[in-house]
Amino acid sequence: MAFKKDPQVFGAKITEVAFGADGASAVFGGGNTLPLYSFDAETRHRPLVGIEFSDKGPDRSLPGLAEFYEGADSLTDVAARACMAQGADFVSLVLESADPNGDDIPSEDAAALAKEAAKAAAGSGKPIVIQGTGNVDKDQELIPKIAEALQGMSALLLSAKEENYKGIAVAAVTAYGQKIGAESSVDINLAKQLNVLIAQMGIQPADYVMNLGTAAAGYGFEYIASTIERVKLAALSQNDDALQMPVITPVALDAWSVKEAVVSEEDFPEWGPREERGVQMEISTAAAALAAGSDAVILRHPASVKTVSELVTALV
Amino acid sequence: MKKLFDRVFDGADEMYALAEKAIAETVSELGESAPLSMPNTAYHLANHLSYIKKQITTVGELKDAFEEVKAWNEHGQNLSAVFRTGFGTFMAAEAIEACKYAKSDDPYEGKYHGHLSDAEVRELGVPLVTNDIPGFVVIYGKAPSDEEAVSIIKGYQTRGIFVFLLGEIIEQARRLDMNMGFPVRVVAVGPDIWQVAHIISFVNRAAMIFGAVQPGDRYELDEYTFWRIHAFVNVYEPVSDIVVACGGGAIAMGFPVITNDENDMWAVPKSLIIQKTTEDFIETSLEARDIKLKITNVDIPVAFSSAFEGEIVRKADMRIDYDGSRFDSFEFVRMTEAHEIEDHSIEIIGPDIDETPEGERLGIGIIVDVAGKNMVKDFEPVFERNFHNFINCAEGVMHTGQRDIIRIRVSKTAFDAGFRLKHIGEILYAKIMSEYDTVVDKCSVKIYTKPDDLKELRKMVNETYDARDARLLSLTDESVDVFYNCILCQSFSPSHVCIVTPERLGLCGAVSWLDAKATNQLNPQGPCQVVTRERVIDPEIGIWEDVNENVFASSHGNLESVSLYSIMVDPMTSCGCFECICGIEPYSNGVVIVNREHIGITPLGMTFPEMASMTGGGVQTPGFMGHGKHFIASKKFMKAEGGSQRIVWMPKALKDMVASKLNATAKELYGIEAFTDMIGDETVAEDPDALMEFLADKGHPALGMEPMF
Repeated sequence: MAFKKDPQVFGAKITEVAFGADGASAVFGGGNTLPLYSFDAETRHRPLVGIEFSDKGPDRSLPGLAEFYEGADSLTDVAARACMAQGADFVSLVLESADPNGDDIPSEDAAALAKEAAKAAAGSGKPIVIQGTGNVDKDQELIPKIAEALQGMSALLLSAKEENYKGIAVAAVTAYGQKIGAESSVDINLAKQLNVLIAQMGIQPADYVMNLGTAAAGYGFEYIASTIERVKLAALSQNDDALQMPVITPVALDAWSVKEAVVSEEDFPEWGPREERGVQMEISTAAAALAAGSDAVILRHPASVKTVSELVTALV
Repeated sequence: MKKLFDRVFDGADEMYALAEKAIAETVSELGESAPLSMPNTAYHLANHLSYIKKQITTVGELKDAFEEVKAWNEHGQNLSAVFRTGFGTFMAAEAIEACKYAKSDDPYEGKYHGHLSDAEVRELGVPLVTNDIPGFVVIYGKAPSDEEAVSIIKGYQTRGIFVFLLGEIIEQARRLDMNMGFPVRVVAVGPDIWQVAHIISFVNRAAMIFGAVQPGDRYELDEYTFWRIHAFVNVYEPVSDIVVACGGGAIAMGFPVITNDENDMWAVPKSLIIQKTTEDFIETSLEARDIKLKITNVDIPVAFSSAFEGEIVRKADMRIDYDGSRFDSFEFVRMTEAHEIEDHSIEIIGPDIDETPEGERLGIGIIVDVAGKNMVKDFEPVFERNFHNFINCAEGVMHTGQRDIIRIRVSKTAFDAGFRLKHIGEILYAKIMSEYDTVVDKCSVKIYTKPDDLKELRKMVNETYDARDARLLSLTDESVDVFYNCILCQSFSPSHVCIVTPERLGLCGAVSWLDAKATNQLNPQGPCQVVTRERVIDPEIGIWEDVNENVFASSHGNLESVSLYSIMVDPMTSCGCFECICGIEPYSNGVVIVNREHIGITPLGMTFPEMASMTGGGVQTPGFMGHGKHFIASKKFMKAEGGSQRIVWMPKALKDMVASKLNATAKELYGIEAFTDMIGDETVAEDPDALMEFLADKGHPALGMEPMF
């Protein structure tokens, strides 16, 4: 019997969200098939792969990373170098030093760093995603400051949460024309509720994306995968417009924090070099997130970025 | 008495004359081609841009535009003409100010703020849109005294209201060295009424930036300013016509004007309010503009956190013991009219803790009065039940029970830290005003400790408790328009949905129909949503098309159909946190119910956890169903299969708990007396044979009924 192709194309689609300034922008979303099902219909925008760097500089104890960023000393240099990573669609600054549990630098200073990195990225033709501290109170003050400093650059700022979405959404999107991520913790209903609340502030669907939560593969990742899958199914099969925003999944922090990526080779010689393990954690987590339905992932190591980008190219 | 309309028109004429003169002077001094703009804005003259869509960049353009602006002052004898004249007056005022800025970038040389930059509009706009700043006031004129000027400004400051000052009050505040400026949220805009143009310019730019209002779109602009900009105006006497004209514009934008001037002044409800007592300006203003203040901290001398919720105050540590089991005591929420309540009043009637000997036991009565436009009587018990959680959060304070069986203990440590009865009031006030801010506008607390008062009041509150219980009984599934769903548990049971009806509470036992209704009203985006019940499919089994649609959507496609009154046909699913499970007992044609607390085996040969594994996780298992304890006595309990007369076995503790209500239901529906005596329990049988013997002996009605499958 001849094989009969029966494409599964949905009437609904994921919202397209563009970010970045002219000549340095990227678009994600727009899909109307299950994730990576490029055989069902042409993929509107391929999933994006981003490379992240900290305002405190790369971890130069990892030889590969040190080599990649060699000679890049200032934040401008690091940002420009990150833009050169093969396969990177965008770059992402992590404002590590603004963390209240760390250096806790003032928001104005952190916003200046964000501006420096964003300028360097735009100069190299890449859009930027800025990651705040994750601390609700600090981000509430910090993200509006970044939004002001980056006026006109249409950067994507992560994240607004249920506790601080109002000020962040209005300041970042309405007052200064940036894009934001709506972050909820691994629960489809909380994600939907936050999206509805943000929409009620007058924010348009094309101005925000979702971060549904993250975990490294093997560390509760199945909860993330199932949440992303359910969100995608609700968005496509039920045409739920409160869940049609694209999904961005910052993979790096979790992937580089688990035991496999942390313990030294001296302590676990049979596990091999630490850097390779970290890269493996990033790749496997990112691949799984993309398969579940993420429209963008953020990775730290250029080797991971290259591999995941090649994977995407091969699949869509 | 001069008519209000005429005062507006005369005032507008004055402002127009001043503007015409200023423009003519500027043209002759600088020439028509001289550039003209406000500093640091992309919105040109924002009032002109907003109202007549003109992007003015030169003195000549301002002069030309003024011809068009004149058409806004036509003296028509209707309200819309008056409102248009108000806006015209703002444009004329802006023309006067623009001429100053054409000659100098900083015409006020730092003495007054004048024009607000776009950056300032954004800085102030964000908290206004998010309600972090509840609103702003424009104060014009001269306060009765310098002290009062400072006191009203500080009064607004402490309430988080942004203050714009115009006219003499600025000098009054300066004489007393009041700290002013953008960071402290008090801005001295300018010495004359025409600087009001800068405040209106701020409002118009906020509408364009935050509301995406297009220039020239009066309808959208009016909507935006009315609903989103919580502003109002205070004007001290004497109020001249030119100020009245500006007031007309303010009222058109939805900003009420409050004044103490009675001469030739016409009160207009909600818009133009005469308040002779200037000390009451703040309260009158907030009420007129419907501004609610956010209560964020609980003002008590001990720590307040959910960490202290489970804390027990033992006899040896207690300073006082209010004991409802021995003395008349109660706690009570009562809805009243707004004018009957003085907001945040806390009254102690009777001796306070420090006027009572250590270790004393006595009674206490707490009455909380609430009022609000969206408040309904059904919320009273919902608030009341949360007193327990609220009061318990205070360190060193213990609360148990509800209604008239409460007990409150205060520890010696809390007492030494200064805790008194009024702090119970502070806790209740702060929590009710913050947790229920969508429905409560005003709240006051009375605490009684005299035995005579308590005795009398307890009688009064008991009547209300009885009335509430009667109301609950009268609530049936047929008597309400809508049901509610509850998806609170979906975080761990992703495909389960409860449908909550008056006669079927959530299976956890914690969400009744009234609770769900309150949850929905208090948090419209929250876990309880309205489910209509219009398209009935089968009223006996309890199937509605609307309910099925809702269940399909809110279970994200996992469930297609649910019946509310059957355990055989598409029974309602369970998350896993059910109070009870019922399951078919095949020999007797009946059902067995077991509650979570029961650890033994049931005649089904299964324990509670084993039965739970059959039905949890959002799956439909015909013959098994999770439910709340209160559902057992409901007339809708498995009504499709014949109702509660099918119950053949329950653990004794559960049986005793539901006996009175279940017996009443059985008597009413089936004419059976003392039905629970016919129901087996673990003391008579834990296996089917012994149970059958017992049931036959008692003549249990299930034995004669149709098999269920």
